[in-house]
Amino acid sequence: MSEIFGFPEDREATSAAKVRALEALLIEKGLIGSDSVDTVLRHFETVAGPFNGAKIVARAWVDPAYRKRLVADTPAAIAELDLPVGMTGAEGEHMAAVANDENVHNLIICTLCSCYPWPVLGLPPYWYKDPVFRARGVREPRAVLREFGVTVPDTKEVKVWDSSAQIRWFVIPERPANTDGMSEEALAALVTPESMMGVALVAAPQP
Amino acid sequence: MFMRFEEYATASMLGEPDSPPRLDGKLFFTNRWERDVFGLALSLAKAGCFEWEDFRQCLIASIARWETMDCANQPRWDYYERFLEALVSVIESSGVLSRAELERVLTARKTASAIAS
Repeated sequence: MSEIFGFPEDREATSAAKVRALEALLIEKGLIGSDSVDTVLRHFETVAGPFNGAKIVARAWVDPAYRKRLVADTPAAIAELDLPVGMTGAEGEHMAAVANDENVHNLIICTLCSCYPWPVLGLPPYWYKDPVFRARGVREPRAVLREFGVTVPDTKEVKVWDSSAQIRWFVIPERPANTDGMSEEALAALVTPESMMGVALVAAPQP
Repeated sequence: MFMRFEEYATASMLGEPDSPPRLDGKLFFTNRWERDVFGLALSLAKAGCFEWEDFRQCLIASIARWETMDCANQPRWDYYERFLEALVSVIESSGVLSRAELERVLTARKTASAIAS
């Protein structure tokens, strides 16, 4: 097969042609369906991903009673929303929300990627499982946050939460200023996965 | 957390040498063919054509081969090129397609695309 992977000049076009040909043959032989690729990718694009967490956060921003319920009983509050099945966690694996406010900034770390609630938060960044990040996140969270561009004033407490197989934490970030009157959908578009991990703040919308 | 095959497969790569590129919590594809080849690998494993772990070992090996190339001959890093190489390898080793079928379809289209361009 070596000549097939000879890295020609037009690598992208060659790879694209190979993938197209491979897919066509696999479909022709009945090994996959004509919509198989789209079906599996749709899962990441519309079913499980950070857009679910963003919807939860936006609802908490516009509805203070919902925010209270979300912190008190996260799976039940998530189940109130019209999200795909499975976002609330299976038995024994509970999602738990912690809210940032004027007194507290929350940071989530995670010792196993299998514990990361990515149907809600999206796929974790590559550094998230890095032992140095995790160790420093526990020992000197303010320094780690500063490196992410988040300076937490000394008057504000920093709480660090370690996700486990039993509890998967996520952060309800603070709603940015100048967002009064924005729709829930527009607010959700401001929420990033990093903000739900506590390593970023939600930026105000650009004027 | 409920676990669909798509989630199991992707989660198994996170934090490992074959971890796929991602941005803002989503898989990151630069070109359409990258999305397609990712979907092909998942679809075939989901259909039972090979074990996902066998594909992953091929991918890890393909990445390792790139890493040990000497600098003068090392092509620009391209995760999905390694991914495609690994997929072809596992398709052949698991007998999903024969070597002849693979060579025919891949080289034929290469010629066709070379003529088209």
